[in-house]
Amino acid sequence: MTESARSDTTRLALWTVLPVAVATALLLVLLATRSPGSERAVSSRLLGEVAPLIEGPTIEGDWFDIDDHRGQWVVVNFFSTTCVPCIQEHPELVNFQETHASVGDATVVSVSFDDQAANVIDFFAEHGGDWPVLVEDTGTFAVRYGVTGVPESYLVAPTGVVAAKLIGGITAAELDGRISGLIEAADA
Amino acid sequence: MSNSSLGAAAVALGTACALAGIVIVALGLAGRRPRWFADVVRLVTVMTAASVASVVIMERALITRDFTVAFVAENGSSRTPALFNVATLWSALEGSILLWTVILCGYVVAVVLKFRHRRDDPMVAWAFLTLFVVCSFFFLLMLGPAAPFGSFDPPVGYDGRGPNPLLQNHILMAFHPPVLYLGYVGFTVPFAFAISALVTGRVGEGWLLATRRWTVMAWGYLTLGIVLGAWWSYETLGWGGYWAWDPVENASFLPWLTGTAFLHSVMVQERRGMLRVWNLSLVIATFSLTILGTFITRSGVLQSVHAFVESGIGPAILGFFGLIVVVSLGLIAWRGDELRSPGRIDSPISREGAFLANNVLFAAFAFIVLLGTVFPLIVEAIDGRTISVGNPYFERMTMPVGFVLLFLMAIAPVLPWRKASTTVLSQRLIWPAWIGVGSMVFALVVGARGWAPMLAFGLGGFAGGAALRQVVLATRRQGWRGLVGRTNGGMIVHMGVVLIAIAFAASNAYVRQGEFTLQPGETVVFADHTLTYEGSDFVEYPNRSERTARVNIDGAKVYEPGIATYPFAGQTIGVPSVRSTPIDDIALSVLQFPEGIDDAVILRVTIQPLIIWLWIGGLVMAAGTVLAVVPGRRRQPTAPTSAPIVEEVMA
Amino acid sequence: MSRNLVGWAAVFMVGASALIFAAVDSGGPVTNADRAYSLAKDFACPVCQGQSVAESDVPVARNIRREIRVWVDEGRTDGYIRDQLVSFYDEDIDYTPSASGITSLVWILPVVGAAGAGAGLVVVFRRWRLEGEQEASAADIALVAAARAEAEDRG
Repeated sequence: MTESARSDTTRLALWTVLPVAVATALLLVLLATRSPGSERAVSSRLLGEVAPLIEGPTIEGDWFDIDDHRGQWVVVNFFSTTCVPCIQEHPELVNFQETHASVGDATVVSVSFDDQAANVIDFFAEHGGDWPVLVEDTGTFAVRYGVTGVPESYLVAPTGVVAAKLIGGITAAELDGRISGLIEAADA
Repeated sequence: MSNSSLGAAAVALGTACALAGIVIVALGLAGRRPRWFADVVRLVTVMTAASVASVVIMERALITRDFTVAFVAENGSSRTPALFNVATLWSALEGSILLWTVILCGYVVAVVLKFRHRRDDPMVAWAFLTLFVVCSFFFLLMLGPAAPFGSFDPPVGYDGRGPNPLLQNHILMAFHPPVLYLGYVGFTVPFAFAISALVTGRVGEGWLLATRRWTVMAWGYLTLGIVLGAWWSYETLGWGGYWAWDPVENASFLPWLTGTAFLHSVMVQERRGMLRVWNLSLVIATFSLTILGTFITRSGVLQSVHAFVESGIGPAILGFFGLIVVVSLGLIAWRGDELRSPGRIDSPISREGAFLANNVLFAAFAFIVLLGTVFPLIVEAIDGRTISVGNPYFERMTMPVGFVLLFLMAIAPVLPWRKASTTVLSQRLIWPAWIGVGSMVFALVVGARGWAPMLAFGLGGFAGGAALRQVVLATRRQGWRGLVGRTNGGMIVHMGVVLIAIAFAASNAYVRQGEFTLQPGETVVFADHTLTYEGSDFVEYPNRSERTARVNIDGAKVYEPGIATYPFAGQTIGVPSVRSTPIDDIALSVLQFPEGIDDAVILRVTIQPLIIWLWIGGLVMAAGTVLAVVPGRRRQPTAPTSAPIVEEVMA
Repeated sequence: MSRNLVGWAAVFMVGASALIFAAVDSGGPVTNADRAYSLAKDFACPVCQGQSVAESDVPVARNIRREIRVWVDEGRTDGYIRDQLVSFYDEDIDYTPSASGITSLVWILPVVGAAGAGAGLVVVFRRWRLEGEQEASAADIALVAAARAEAEDRG
């Protein structure tokens, strides 16, 4: 092999090896710096948007329409009677509702998720709670709110705009804190 | 002594042997230890014994339900049926590394046996060095981040949760992982010889001849492992799917693609002495991709149904992957000038031309799959968005590649080496072409529509016809020997591929799925099949309780899909039931049972044609691989420039 | 030769007409259920790992399936359904990466790569053809002779 042929092929080898090396190095860095999939947060596109429509008959036979509650904070709570955190957060919701019912500045609406009417009625009879509960054809509301699991709650501002998404069980204190925080932020 | 201390001791012993192996071979290479091979034989014996012992100890712990071993406490249970109890070994990370290591040791023993007469050859020495490095890595994993023999202090009356329910409800789970690992790990041997070829500078054909059968066998196991995995998901996941382009499935498919490319391009190098760098790169890429696949499966970085629980071994595997890539690329760059191929291709319309095209296509296929798999991570790293890349992308991008590959499969086997005339080609291909057209017409008559599946049937028939022609000619010439050997076995493999391609196209294009709410006694007609829901049953098993629906299909036989609750694992899974015929499959799964026993059940029905041919095709491919490993008729090199280097032929 | 030519012409005629017929004749109308099913396959179940909306059994996936069916029954276009789902959940519900912006790379790179490889092959073949026939050197021939002798000895 002549000198020039040798240097030619060496250069060719380098030229082919280099891009592969760079690509693999990038891939390595990428894989090494990614956090495991399960740690990624769930985001919501609804924040700041007008709350999607929720309307329908409640378990008590009334008609509920979220737009009738403009001027009030509404906690839209997606739940199921078989989910443990839902059972745990329920007294907190009762607490929250009772404090605000007299003032009238906030209310709760519960939307059952993949559940049956009889179970939901029993659930409220057992655990208390005096606010609208929707059971019929609630799947479409869940889709419109982008609900991925229960419990999941949305805080709808008096303007009718979704102000917060809360995944997992909530407490009355947390809800009040959120509301006062949002009011302060709006005033500022 | 307790199982966990015995097991830990076995792992430690194996690690010591693997590390000592590196030192001994290095000393041997440096000329300081002339009788290094005898030491290697001893070390490999002890290392393998230790690895086998560790597996035996773990199995003993599983079978005797020894919950003082943390792995058994976490994954075992006294209620798991015997077969799945044994298979629990590979249902979780630590045990799967045990299995991996014991298979690796098995391959190393085979290398010792095969190459014991070539102990003076530095190429063999360097291959052993590489093998010991890989062994050391896996033993060290078990010593550190994936220690299988951690101990546990079980409270009185403790019983474990058992393996993931999905991993203990189908017999295929007992076979799919070990077979897949036989494939993955098998590529270590060709990799070791590729590295030693680069180091010793003997980059000619010697290392290829040395490892040819190993590669074919590893490839065969990988193929079978992938098909068994698809079969398992079809039978257990309940959505009538068998391939979802899931990251973990892709991780097993990537080395298969590069391995398949290698099996073809290697013939160009053997016959014509060309594509040396390319072949070395393919072997190295295949091995690296098995390691990358292990990372994807184990690290939890990519979401997947199949992924194991996240663990700390991600960084270690990634580091090892980096090491492999750095060393290999460094060696290739260093040996660049000697890798220059002496040969050249005379005409693109020749066997070697077709192999070249085949390799470009397989490389493109692998690139598409790899890019699609990691692309969400790339986008997330660049601008923080989370996106998905799924079925529609992979199907759209790989379909054209698949079509061209089928076309090549039809014409390449009849192409002569060096140069082909169109006359020869048209004579040899006319009958296969008629078979292709015939299958299209047949498909039309039985009601198939749509250009894409029709093209797949046509090209599939064409390729199948070409393979058939080769086998018929070979058996006519050589009798039964026309079925064995690499070329003839390869044609059988091609037929298996054709079966899978046709079944894949048909099942994808003509799948019908429906959800039905049925009262007991109610009948529904769906896609020309009559389904009657007769009622439901409830059965208790030691490890689960199962509620099943009796569904009568076409008034002929009752199938019982159900939902199984594993109280101790805290999980509820669907148990689909499948009616298979050569024409179509009906997969039933229960989406929801009613509250009351007499209420309606929600049933999902998936009807797909030709599913069974996927599994048959997979078995045909495996059979073809076995035939290909049986020595066939020897051939002479055709061109002067393809002559193997003399020294290596003698060795 | 001419008989062969006729044969090939017939193959192409029959093949092409079968293909065209299969492409034109859809074989009956697509039902709403079928359309909803094939749409559901194109979206990721938001809470599952690696399963589509069509495949998963979890309530979220069932809800989305039902919703897709409602949209299909209303006669909505695929694009409308996609936009709705993306606005309710997020971009990662869509299994098809968008063809604009940075995600278009996933579509473009393989095509560019394949085209590059194809062009490379063409260039290489050109060069080989221009170089003309290569003669085997005496050393090459000696190598082959030795190798053959060796192979026969073993044979």
